[in-house]
Amino acid sequence: MKRDLTKKPDLSVDLAGIRLKNPVLTASGTFGYGEEYRDIVDLDRLGGIIVKGVSARPIKGNPPPRIWETPSGMLNAIGLENPGVDVFLSEKLPYLRQYDTAVIVNIFGYSLEDYVAVTERLDGVPGVAGLEVNISCPNVKAGGIVFGTNVKASFELLSALRRRTKLPLIAKLSPNVTDITEFARAAADAGCDGLSLINTLLGMAIDVRSRRPRLANCTGGLSGPAIRPVAVRMVWQAAQAVRLPIIGMGGIMTAEDALEFVLAGATAVAVGTANFVNPAATLDVISGLETFLAREGVASLRELTGQVRMT
Amino acid sequence: MPPARVHQALVVENRDAGRGYFRIVLRAPALAVQARAGHFVMLRVSENLDPLLARPFGIASVLDRRDIELYYRIVGRGTSLLRSVKPGRSLAVHGPLGNGFPAPGKGETPLLVAGGSGFPPLLFFAGRYGRSAHLFAGSRDKACLPPARAMRDFTSRVQSIHYATEDGSRGTCGFVTDALAAYLQRPAGAGRPVIYACGPHPMLAAVSRLAADRGVPCFVSLEERMACGLGVCMGCSVPVTAGGYRRVCKEGPVFDSREVDWGGQVSLQGGRQE
Repeated sequence: MKRDLTKKPDLSVDLAGIRLKNPVLTASGTFGYGEEYRDIVDLDRLGGIIVKGVSARPIKGNPPPRIWETPSGMLNAIGLENPGVDVFLSEKLPYLRQYDTAVIVNIFGYSLEDYVAVTERLDGVPGVAGLEVNISCPNVKAGGIVFGTNVKASFELLSALRRRTKLPLIAKLSPNVTDITEFARAAADAGCDGLSLINTLLGMAIDVRSRRPRLANCTGGLSGPAIRPVAVRMVWQAAQAVRLPIIGMGGIMTAEDALEFVLAGATAVAVGTANFVNPAATLDVISGLETFLAREGVASLRELTGQVRMT
Repeated sequence: MPPARVHQALVVENRDAGRGYFRIVLRAPALAVQARAGHFVMLRVSENLDPLLARPFGIASVLDRRDIELYYRIVGRGTSLLRSVKPGRSLAVHGPLGNGFPAPGKGETPLLVAGGSGFPPLLFFAGRYGRSAHLFAGSRDKACLPPARAMRDFTSRVQSIHYATEDGSRGTCGFVTDALAAYLQRPAGAGRPVIYACGPHPMLAAVSRLAADRGVPCFVSLEERMACGLGVCMGCSVPVTAGGYRRVCKEGPVFDSREVDWGGQVSLQGGRQE
């Protein structure tokens, strides 16, 4: 392979019809609506932003305590607090549209009707590149995980949304299932254009003195580097099962972490909890990918997708 | 709010300050010149992945326009790692963050109420607006009061200091609210009192009730667990009387005490540091 260190490697990817200048996205719920990071991250440099989950109506969220730190990770039970789709469209999206970055809107609901309402509201809105459907939040009773841990319910929900929008539809899958490939196939069969995985792993921590759970919600979603091997494994399994492009996420802190996901079969990656720890983590991952490809003499990141060697 | 950035801060000093506290001085001129009383920073105690998150610390002082001073106690793995950091090393510190205390108005007498390890932001406040201020420092016992160096700094910055300990080992025997209530009965001087408080949640709730009873304006600096300090993780939200939640890191950490729903919190655990 010819090494040309003067030429910048090509990081661009095509994700379910969305052209990204690089594969690095922000995981939903870890980057707000972009504006919160404006002092630290030049949003023009990001492949895309997956915004904090948006619902048809505003959601107050769960009572505190909402977070608890765990070894190399954290538990959260925020409860999908968000201002609702109307405020998103009037106050958040206009800010993001100033930037040359793909805006993928994460959506969720408590019922099929909720999901449909927010999908219809966002369909055809200029500046929205695609929808990521959260069917996997572990922290709200009715919404999310009820759909995401039942293959039939997942299929029905995603099929219903497919009929309501032409936007690229990306299903965000739950890792809290026995066989991730069943859910990947259900999403493909429902007509989804891509997959995001993984959402957080359901966890719990207890204060042994008070004998109470650390989180007011009792259980929460585990994220951070602690879950990365689980996430890489699930991305690899899903990539074997379906031909859909995958956004890989779960504990990515560095470019090397991101490359694990790419080799396992991810077309793009999302940086999540790392944004809390190092607000410039996305930029570090992007420049780290450039350096790695240049050093390895790889002209385009796309050459590495799914290229984990089994022999 | 000033732009908050991540700075690589040189550790200038990190030593035992007595009474279970440690004092760390970090050189971060760009951060220091922007810092105001009530601001906090997110400090990463190590570059390793465990512990993963940065810790919030209220800024106690700005020294020579280039250093920030923080106090901490060893309450968990994070702060015990911080204890072992030697001068000369650098640590990632993000800030200044938060809204800060409002400046006292003309003719107002600030009453600073410090409970437990909540004194650092009030020490900063005292440095800026302390001349007519009175400090009320409360704790379980004498050994849990702010360390000697911080008390020296308070002494040089405020008009008077009132101690309250629950076991009576220093000052008034009882809660700091008792000492504050006694003062409000017969205030020294003619200034209109305004309360600025930082400390454990139950103390702040009690101070807030007292302030409401006496019709005294009251600002509280809240301590909550945080993951990001940027307003994105929504982990530090507290219930408010208007309904819903406000983020301590973004809308706070300083709130008008009437805004906070003191009864609405499921747990009383705060914990700015661990």
